[in-house]
Amino acid sequence: MGEDKEINRRNFMSLATWAIGALIGAGLGIPAIAYIVGPALQRLEAQEWIRLGSAAKVELGTPTLFKTKIERKTGWIVNEDEITVYVLTEDGRDFVAMSNICTHLGCRIRWVADSGQFFCPCHNGVFDKDGGIVSGPVPRPLDRFELKVEDGQLYILGG
Amino acid sequence: MATRIGNWLDERFGWRRVWEVIFLRKVPKVNWLYTLGSATLFVGINQMVTGILLTIYYVPSPDQAYDSVQYITTQVPAGWLIRGLHHWGASAMIVLSVLHMLRVIFYGAYKYPREMTWITGIISGIIVIGFGFTGYLLPWDQKAFWATTVGTRIAEVTPIIGPWILRIMRGGEELTAVTLARFFGVHVWFLPATLAVLILIHLYLVVRIGISAVPKRGE
Repeated sequence: MGEDKEINRRNFMSLATWAIGALIGAGLGIPAIAYIVGPALQRLEAQEWIRLGSAAKVELGTPTLFKTKIERKTGWIVNEDEITVYVLTEDGRDFVAMSNICTHLGCRIRWVADSGQFFCPCHNGVFDKDGGIVSGPVPRPLDRFELKVEDGQLYILGG
Repeated sequence: MATRIGNWLDERFGWRRVWEVIFLRKVPKVNWLYTLGSATLFVGINQMVTGILLTIYYVPSPDQAYDSVQYITTQVPAGWLIRGLHHWGASAMIVLSVLHMLRVIFYGAYKYPREMTWITGIISGIIVIGFGFTGYLLPWDQKAFWATTVGTRIAEVTPIIGPWILRIMRGGEELTAVTLARFFGVHVWFLPATLAVLILIHLYLVVRIGISAVPKRGE
């Protein structure tokens, strides 16, 4: 722009005005973008071991439901959220902890003892007792939590 | 290429003419005091932008207002800056509005044919004070609460209709959640909508009539 325009006073002032305007715009615009997207980019708070309950409560070969409450801080509000986990063991030594959240669109699945499968009421997603896909629109098996047993108590890693 | 797109658009929008009328109009030889109106407008735009941004996190409810403001100030990236600009901009707005008004008074710029520019300006000034009064309550800290308690009590002193004004302002006898909610509503909807209309008229008149020259001796 303006290669063959000579720089006179008028052009200079006009250019300077635009430059200062752009500077102010960027000075407010860039922080504004950071301000808007900031909380969305924040990582989840550090994960910690959450106690589920006694390992003895898990029935052999049947996914057993555990519910536990944790405190989560979202923005300026501290919520008490309930975490629901299905724990499965075949031999009483190796345990698997599965999330009860359907991998399709986030509804809550439940264990149907009669058919021996997990069923999601929203779009008929079906998982087997290990969380593997049986039928329906589900894209992947049920998510699993890292799990450990200490003094006969089950702990999962979450946050 | 850019010129061709510009020409194509201008053929349909005709904005070059608008641009010329607004920004390339002839002005008398004036001094720096004549920039106070533009300065007020600039800070006003700053208030608008930062104010819109603040509503993304602010919650006008007694159990959350204070915490959400603290969250903006300490947790959100650049939140301190956005809130700071809005906070200090509010004071700048009052100062600049008053200086702008004083300039108009001392230069006699309110006279014929600019009476309507003056009147819309005065009403805008009252609205700016309304912004300050309602915005002061929103952080919901001790200062906010007691300042509004006192402010509404001052309004109560008005003869005859005073107690009624207090009740309207507070939304009841006491300063409560209802007060906070209505102050918020007035601060972000009623006042901005009214001010936008008044400023448009004000600026239209400035462009249409042109600004007054510095008065000469004996005028």
